[in-house]
Amino acid sequence: MIKEVLSQIFKKPATCKYPFVKAEVPEGFRGKQVFDISLCISCGLCSRDCPAKAIEMVDVDGKRRPLFHLDLCIFCYQCAESCPRNAIKSSLIFELASTDKSDLIVKPQTSSQKASGA
Amino acid sequence: MGNGVQIQSTHLGKASIQIPAGSNRNVVKVLLETDKNAGISAITGLDLGEKIGLMYHVRTNGVIVTISTELPKDNPQIPSITDLIPGANFHEREVADLFGVIFQGHPNPGRLVLPEDWPENLYPLRKDAKIDELTTRPATSSFSKGAVQSEAESKLVNIFVGPQHPALLEPEKFSVKVDGEIVKAVEPRIGYVHRGVEKASEQRTYLQDVYLVERICGICNSCHASCFVETVEKILGTEVPPRGKYLRTIILELNRLHSHLLLLGHAGLEIGYETLFQYMWRDREPIMDLTELLTGNRVIASSLTVGGVRRDLKETDVPKIKTQLVILRKRMDFYQNLFNSEPSLRMRTRNVGTLSKEDALKLCVVGPVARASGVNMDVRKDEPYEAYGEIPFKLITRSEGDTYARLMVRLDEVTESINIIEYALDHLPEGPYRVKVPRVVVAGEAVSRVEAPRGELFYYVKSNGTAYPERVKVRTPTFANIPAFLKTAIGGSIADVPANFVSLDPCFSCTDR
Amino acid sequence: MEMALDLELIFRVLVFPGFTFILFFTLFCDWVERKVEARMQNRVGPAVAGPAGILQPLADFVKLLTKEDIVPRDAKKLVFKFAPIISFSFMVFALCFLPIDGASAIPGAGFAGDLVFIMALVTVANFLLFLSGWASANPYSAIGSARVLTQFLGYDIPLFLLALTPAFLAKSLSIAAIAANQYLPFILLAPWAFVLFIITLQAELEKDPFDIPHAESEVVGGLETEYCGGKLAFLHLTRDVQIVFGAALVVELFLGGPYGPVFFGLPVFWYSLWFIIKLLAVVVITEYVTCLFARLRIDQVLTANWKILLPLSVLSLTLTVAMATWIYPLMV
Repeated sequence: MIKEVLSQIFKKPATCKYPFVKAEVPEGFRGKQVFDISLCISCGLCSRDCPAKAIEMVDVDGKRRPLFHLDLCIFCYQCAESCPRNAIKSSLIFELASTDKSDLIVKPQTSSQKASGA
Repeated sequence: MGNGVQIQSTHLGKASIQIPAGSNRNVVKVLLETDKNAGISAITGLDLGEKIGLMYHVRTNGVIVTISTELPKDNPQIPSITDLIPGANFHEREVADLFGVIFQGHPNPGRLVLPEDWPENLYPLRKDAKIDELTTRPATSSFSKGAVQSEAESKLVNIFVGPQHPALLEPEKFSVKVDGEIVKAVEPRIGYVHRGVEKASEQRTYLQDVYLVERICGICNSCHASCFVETVEKILGTEVPPRGKYLRTIILELNRLHSHLLLLGHAGLEIGYETLFQYMWRDREPIMDLTELLTGNRVIASSLTVGGVRRDLKETDVPKIKTQLVILRKRMDFYQNLFNSEPSLRMRTRNVGTLSKEDALKLCVVGPVARASGVNMDVRKDEPYEAYGEIPFKLITRSEGDTYARLMVRLDEVTESINIIEYALDHLPEGPYRVKVPRVVVAGEAVSRVEAPRGELFYYVKSNGTAYPERVKVRTPTFANIPAFLKTAIGGSIADVPANFVSLDPCFSCTDR
Repeated sequence: MEMALDLELIFRVLVFPGFTFILFFTLFCDWVERKVEARMQNRVGPAVAGPAGILQPLADFVKLLTKEDIVPRDAKKLVFKFAPIISFSFMVFALCFLPIDGASAIPGAGFAGDLVFIMALVTVANFLLFLSGWASANPYSAIGSARVLTQFLGYDIPLFLLALTPAFLAKSLSIAAIAANQYLPFILLAPWAFVLFIITLQAELEKDPFDIPHAESEVVGGLETEYCGGKLAFLHLTRDVQIVFGAALVVELFLGGPYGPVFFGLPVFWYSLWFIIKLLAVVVITEYVTCLFARLRIDQVLTANWKILLPLSVLSLTLTVAMATWIYPLMV
């Protein structure tokens, strides 16, 4: 231990200075959901299978679409598995903390809404 | 054994015996005559409508034997077996709390998992206890008295370790009664983080329950998931494909690695060895990164499901895993050296909190605590599950039974886990890793055991033919190990309590569910 | 003439090398300690407050001053409130006797036997710390402060015996004389005394492996449990000043004090510089010893003192006397 402790002074620290240095996440990371509304068939399986009851089916343009409550979500991605059309995918975004609760509610948006920046 | 005994063979262990309620003590006595090292693995309560079912899951010769009996619901009384097997103490108290069964002759009855001001006659796990009743309890309820204090005990100074205490990770209260510096008695009060997971799991489908039971404990999350899915697979009769079994083994062993490294670092912190703590946790970080690579999350893997695993291992990930394991193996040599030679560490842990082999067997302790006292108990060897039957590894035991032995057992197990993962990676079979299972599970019941990092984890699941389970019973290793702490602390000094305590690897989220 | 003398005294006592210098130097030593400990443990340490985190101890101090100050209802109010501050002042007063820039902070304050005097001052300061824990009506504080008392009373004796070794070599009990008379630093003449002194100092300063009174997992906060706000800031400051004092004592007794080669300009500047460098070296050494070991139990600490350190310090004194009387005159 005597040598070990001395030698560590000259080595680079093992901690990284987050948030000044960004953390790297690997490819399969379960982060914020990305929902592709064009693939959705309104079956509601994602909402039924969600263990945390974090998906609510809401009405968008006459069809039922999932609304994600990220404050309830446990990021297990059972919704992605249950979806028969692969409409829910993961992203690498994990910095979801916010002071405004409405940031944590991901509303389903059509592509026209997304383009206009709604 | 007299009449009224039926022997059936189901998934309830090696054998399942049905007996009338009054003869439970005789059956246990006969059992102890045939195998004096028999211990209680769990005691399950069941609500069978008109009656309350009680199942003693006894662990003998490495297998589980279930002894079932039934009690009338309006007067559920049964003699206690605590004098025959002292380890049944906590289990009986829990069933008394949650189902209202009265164990005659129990040495210290009292609330275990429910709070002191929980109303009498409201038993949460009975089917007729409404959820609304449970969440809005009446404000006026009397505090039930704790155990009666004897004359001698009231002269002792009472030092409270917990509920909030720097030595504990999670809240539990231990009243340590000292006479000067010597500990005379320890009175535990658990149940501070009781979340009612067993009741909650009856309201969710099997698919959702996998995620629920995973969150009973953050550190051993994959073990809970694996035990639950194995039990459900036994009821369904599904056979997991070999690749799925090997992948499950890899994830479980990664879980064991990170848990043991966490504990060894935490032990360093308890004895004031901050440098050891920082080094251990630094070496634990690559394991978390590997778990993130394999499953998508650092802590809660969510990778096991009924029928296999959720995602496959990519070919490109295998060399990354192997490189990290090689680095970790070299670091383990350094830690072996350190634990063998560092004087201040040995002074704090040698001959502290010794648990003899007889006590370990009588109190039915599990896991590294038992193995450090010379008991050859490991579910991976006794009843191999997943791919453990095909992977060669050593069973680590020590005979001293003190804190040092308990820490060293875990240190050696880290090296064994590295061996297991490397073997599994080299011999990974090809093929599917998952099979489809029906959402509605046929009626039936099964038990299953898994070797979690802290010891033997026990699950009992009963299904009634719907998509929702009828009963899920979880018996976690720390629940079985706390009585060992009560025994080992007595006679030692108050200064040894933290080191002693951390060596049994307490995880109270597991204990309380 | 009167005015000029007063101003110099005031400057020396209040600014340099007196109170202000000691205060900021203590905060700086705290930063050095934390950075060195962090690097030894493969971490970064304070990094955000100021360049390389150098303002972190000041930030912690100011933060504590802004917190609510609660006095428990059953505590002995006078002792609870004033013991930390008086303890701190005693330590600073003791520091004023050490020659920091060639002369002590209070000019002409040194006298024959002031080594004994400042050791006594430090003992009283430690005793006041014990009182502060005892006066908080809390069982954890009571246990913690009782352990503080047992530990420092026990270790004061070998500390004093070991401090006598340089006094014997310099043939004087005045610190200024000991520091000035080191033709060879005493660490070379009596290395055994230096090693034993560092070990005993670890116990006096309550650092690992003798860390018991602080933040241990048994007694929650030790004697600091009931303190919060400004009083806690003072307790922490007292502990840090204690470390500076211990290191300064080592520098004066064993490492030749502030004296060293003067290259150009004022000797005062060079003496202060050498003092600071040597003191930081001692702080790094004690921090290194802290990182190496776990914490011992109280009974093991007492065994280490009475059965090991005390006999060894007596032996060390005897050995030094023997060497000084017969061997060293032959070498000169």
